[in-house]
Amino acid sequence: MLRLLSLVCLMVLAIWKVPALGAADPVKPVVAPVSVVDPVDRDVELFNPNVYSLDETGHGPKYVTRSPFTDPASDIARQVTSVTWFSSLVFMPFLVLPLLLLLYVIFKFRDQGDGRKPATFTGNHTLEIVWTVIPCVALVVVSIPTWFVLDHMEAPPVKQKDRMAVRVVGKQFAWDYQYLGMYKDPKAEQKQAIAVGQFLGIQEPLVLAKGRTVELHMTSDDVNHAWWIPPFGVKKDCIKGRDTYAWFTPDTIGFFKGQCAELCGDGHGIMIITAAVVEKPDFERWVALQRVKDDTLKVWTAIQPPPGTAIDEKALRDAVAGFLAKGRSPERQSALRYWIACNYSTLQRVPPPKGITIAEIFGAAKGGGAAEIAAAISTRRAKVDVLLKELAAVAGTSADAGTDAARDSLTSVVAGAQP
Amino acid sequence: MTAAAVMPPIPIKRYTGLMDWLTTVDHKKIGLMYFWFTVTMGIVGGFFAGAIRVQLATPGAVIESIQAAHLAGVELPFNLFSENKDLFNQMVTMHASVMIFFTIIPGFIAFANYIVPLMVGARDMAFPKMNAFGFWLLIPAALLMMSSFFVQGGAASSGWTAYPPLSLAGAGHNPGQDMWIMGVHLAGVSSILAAINFIVTIASLKAPEMKWRDLPLFVWATFFVSIIQLTATPVLAAAVTMILLDRNFGTTFTIASDGGDPVLYQHIFWFYSHPAVYIMILPGFGAISHIFAAFSRKRVFGYASMVFAVGSITLLGFVVWAHHMFSVGMSPGLAYYFQVASLLIGVPTGIKVFNWLATMWGGSIRFTAAMMFACGFICLFVLGGFGGLILALVAVDFTLTDTYFVVGHFHMVLVGGSVMLLFAMTYYWWPKMTGHMLSEKLGKWVFWLMFIGVFVTFFAMHLSGANGMARRVPVYYSDFTFSNYLTTFGYFLTIVSSLLFYLDLFLSYRRPKVTVDDPWKINDIQQSFEWATSCPPPAYNFVTVPPIPVLNQMSDGHGADGKPDEGKPLDSKSTH
Repeated sequence: MLRLLSLVCLMVLAIWKVPALGAADPVKPVVAPVSVVDPVDRDVELFNPNVYSLDETGHGPKYVTRSPFTDPASDIARQVTSVTWFSSLVFMPFLVLPLLLLLYVIFKFRDQGDGRKPATFTGNHTLEIVWTVIPCVALVVVSIPTWFVLDHMEAPPVKQKDRMAVRVVGKQFAWDYQYLGMYKDPKAEQKQAIAVGQFLGIQEPLVLAKGRTVELHMTSDDVNHAWWIPPFGVKKDCIKGRDTYAWFTPDTIGFFKGQCAELCGDGHGIMIITAAVVEKPDFERWVALQRVKDDTLKVWTAIQPPPGTAIDEKALRDAVAGFLAKGRSPERQSALRYWIACNYSTLQRVPPPKGITIAEIFGAAKGGGAAEIAAAISTRRAKVDVLLKELAAVAGTSADAGTDAARDSLTSVVAGAQP
Repeated sequence: MTAAAVMPPIPIKRYTGLMDWLTTVDHKKIGLMYFWFTVTMGIVGGFFAGAIRVQLATPGAVIESIQAAHLAGVELPFNLFSENKDLFNQMVTMHASVMIFFTIIPGFIAFANYIVPLMVGARDMAFPKMNAFGFWLLIPAALLMMSSFFVQGGAASSGWTAYPPLSLAGAGHNPGQDMWIMGVHLAGVSSILAAINFIVTIASLKAPEMKWRDLPLFVWATFFVSIIQLTATPVLAAAVTMILLDRNFGTTFTIASDGGDPVLYQHIFWFYSHPAVYIMILPGFGAISHIFAAFSRKRVFGYASMVFAVGSITLLGFVVWAHHMFSVGMSPGLAYYFQVASLLIGVPTGIKVFNWLATMWGGSIRFTAAMMFACGFICLFVLGGFGGLILALVAVDFTLTDTYFVVGHFHMVLVGGSVMLLFAMTYYWWPKMTGHMLSEKLGKWVFWLMFIGVFVTFFAMHLSGANGMARRVPVYYSDFTFSNYLTTFGYFLTIVSSLLFYLDLFLSYRRPKVTVDDPWKINDIQQSFEWATSCPPPAYNFVTVPPIPVLNQMSDGHGADGKPDEGKPLDSKSTH
């Protein structure tokens, strides 16, 4: 028996040791250390946090660990949590009582070799009725509050005045989100949808506003998936050909992690979901940033020429001027700076093309370190900043800011979004 | 008539040795073959579980490091399944399929096959050849599923639930899924044949004068389970046939873009597979009543309500299937109905637990290995059942469904419940089945390792799930590292215990034969026919009804004079 024990101990040891031996060395991602002082950089960290949040050991984006039952982060999750604790308390006697009785019986009625005669009774109607009726009462007690929670969860949140709708599409092994009802004019919606995509949870997170109800309309492009972020307390399957529906009101600022919860193929384990919950004014700013995203592309192309070619100063100047020609409000200017910062971050995240190092893409010398890359980036951003100041000053006004689509009401939700 | 009389007797070739086992139609030999088949498949399924557990204890990377590596343009390997990530899903699928279709369901059929004809005082099952056919169908079914690992694309990898559209993926290129479906068909036919056989045996081969109310609880449980198997299994066949046709013959039952509906499949599938969980535990419920009574030296408490409870679980089991799929999005009223019906099953289950405790109450309990497994079963089953009550609540289920909480729950009731029951039944009936005792000393080691192992493994799974770990994933967030180590540690305890048990099964054949009919010395109180014949029983069991008293199960245990009911033997007529 001693040998057996030592065998078990050995196995335990093996389990504890193997991960240390087997785990690959943590890969240090090539991310330039950026000092977060520029408000634009702060926005990137706020809305697209995975970029800057890799820790010193390279151990991935930092998230707040949240259990759905101890740290609920939405109104729905809070209701679910309280009804869970309530039901657990009501059911607890039916867990504890049999176990206590079992222990009592085991110790009280064990054969002690004293020749005691066992009892001869074989039934008792009163007892049978008691342990049939009491569980039924408990069942009724639990069923009442759970109905109200369920009805509340499944009915559209018509009482919530401040709400928005998001279309969620799952596909092997990524997520697409489209914010619905962001424009009063449906044509504008088609022209530039507010949309984000997620693969492995490291592209843009789903950005939500604290205190604003979000309705999720889910479907799938291929096999079944399920959208689930534990602290929000909702989970629904995404099924091709069907629309499933869930809503919640996030009430805690932070980054949240979740994952696909329906077996969907070999990438199921890494079909990650992330969401960032921000204050409402921050959310409005994020939406405004999303709206000008396409306009900034020309500037980005000019400032980021193919590796090995120099920046064409004139083309860059024209691109910035072109961007300002559509509107020159301070918001629009900082949006351009935001997208440049964001694009640099994305560039750093994606694997470089074959035969080219990250340093080469940024025009730094071969083998250039992180500091060198950071320097290259800030030089270029400074160039755009100078151009912005100069060109915006020429026009000398920001009066036309009000005409921008940014003033569209964000709170309106298209009626068509309702199920 | 006269023609038959003049016909010469048909010569019957009697084989011995291996050929005897291959051609036998004796319910006892078939029962033993079922038993050895299930323990063997149990070990196979256990090693599939081992592959999953080793992967999850040593994933090689957590989601955070995979993300970080991806940012740096590096693909981090998964520990065991780097070359073939789909293999992990194949393991998950095959672990479930082997354990359900080839271990637990036929495991109970093994005992029912051996014990039920003895308990009702019959000479054999009603249809002995069909009985043998049913067993031999399981072999090709298992071979089909196991060999699918070696075909192009590997084995089925869409989970044992085989939800479309995932199970339709790669049709024509991965015959593994089709082989899985064929395997399920064969196992299903085997199941249906066994069910018909049990129903007819119990209904018509009872000893003369034996009434329904005289039937032991194990026979009642087998009867109800056979009804479930007979009515639900064809529905499973229909569900997987839809997949087979959609994959290979261009139908569109489950293809949304062509007018089908993937959710339809889920409803039909769970219409079988929820009753199937009762196929996997109700026979044990019946058997465990005998074990509690036997080792407490008492009679079963509340016979009538025990039968009523099994019957109502059978009925309710058919009307709660959609609690497996609340998250597909059904109307709240419908979901609520399924919640209440599911909770309602807790009532008869609770009745059974309390009646078992009352059976032990006032007894003189001997803690043999069988009794320890029975007590361990109550403990673990109540724990698992508690999780089930929480999962039945729709609002909570949205958070918990498809997490490790569900995995922990159903393993706690399947391993802590059904498997513990199977262990208890084996320790109890092994001397009757083989004429050899299992080692009580080793049995206590098997019990404690299994009990602690099962508790640690599946309790840790509950923790992972309640904290937000999805199921069927080969990697996870770093938050779940510790609970996964714990689960795998528990797994090693259970596998050591299982191997010890397997060893003891072989060792038992070297021990001296049991010479008495009733090695547990219980028949003065239990009064059950199977203990009134030799160990193992002779061919054709009984010539006449054994002269043991049959007790009035419906009384309170006492006669009109207030003295303990002694019962009276049935007439010693010849058996069927």
